[in-house]
Amino acid sequence: MTVQIMELYSDSDMSRLGRKVSVWTRTLCGVAAAALAACVIMAATANTANAGRMELGAVATSTVAGWFVIYCGIFVVSRAKRELAHAKMLKQETRERVEGTVTVTRERLAIRKSIIALRVDVAGSAGTKRVLVTEQKGEALAKAAAAGVSAVYTAHGYVAAYEVTV
Amino acid sequence: MRFLKNVFSQLHSFVLWLMFSAVFWGWIFTIVTDAPAEEKVTVYCYVSEIRDKDLAVALEENRPEGIRMIKVHPFDYVMMNIERMEDGDIFILPQSRIETYAELLADADGGAAAGNGMDRGDMSDSMDGSDTAGGGVDSSAGFRIYDAASDAGGALSYIGYGDEDYYLFLGARSVHLEDGKALEVARQLLDMK
Repeated sequence: MTVQIMELYSDSDMSRLGRKVSVWTRTLCGVAAAALAACVIMAATANTANAGRMELGAVATSTVAGWFVIYCGIFVVSRAKRELAHAKMLKQETRERVEGTVTVTRERLAIRKSIIALRVDVAGSAGTKRVLVTEQKGEALAKAAAAGVSAVYTAHGYVAAYEVTV
Repeated sequence: MRFLKNVFSQLHSFVLWLMFSAVFWGWIFTIVTDAPAEEKVTVYCYVSEIRDKDLAVALEENRPEGIRMIKVHPFDYVMMNIERMEDGDIFILPQSRIETYAELLADADGGAAAGNGMDRGDMSDSMDGSDTAGGGVDSSAGFRIYDAASDAGGALSYIGYGDEDYYLFLGARSVHLEDGKALEVARQLLDMK
């Protein structure tokens, strides 16, 4: 029987997050630039006959593109950035080992301007300790817990790694 | 479900962006669809119905040289605010309103000067006004563009006149009085079907 420490965020996870942030940022900049170009073309080709239609087109294009950029900027790019920063923090900070039976709850904590976390109960001999895990890694930890996790490693109260006995 | 929750959590941002877009592009289009007074002729019409955009497009087809744009506005456009209509080059008014807006209208001398030698009779004899409506400017300074009795008039396809005579006047402060361009557009209006 050997004890293995499994990192929640592997190096490939980190590079995937980095790529996600970069690709989405470029995509959103592209969408914004294309929408702006389309609106400028509509304004430049407006005349007395089509001014109303062109203005409506420019407002619609700018509005829809803006909504897309706002939505993806907040819910995709910012979240991925925060997750990446969180993962880096987990890698760098000093960790604490918490032993016990791990249960990932459905209790969701949306921390303002930070990540979304799920509460994790670690029931050990000294009582139950409450820690957190990022929503994105909650399912992975729950699966591992079902298979048997003997301890978790936390940094600033967040699960950074877990211990399995193989 | 998550998508809707996300959208509702940021509803204020979406609404703000919609408002910003409408105001910003409205402002931009106001700028790009306008021209300096020297390059445009503005027509204000005190009429019950008007296809202002279509009329402007029709007038622009034969616009005078040096004129980039012809704007046609119903009086509602400026909320009947006289000050905002001061730049008007042409006014179409019912006989009963001539006195109210007299200060905006070029008098008979101004109209004749604007004609560069062409008197009102050259414009349209049948539409020439002759009734006096009081005030410094009366209907004799304008051109009768609509005759209620015979239901005949200019630009009938674009303008729905009321049940009184209508007169076309040149604007007292029009920058196109001297160069005759306001009169050229007025002629088009009077001759238009």
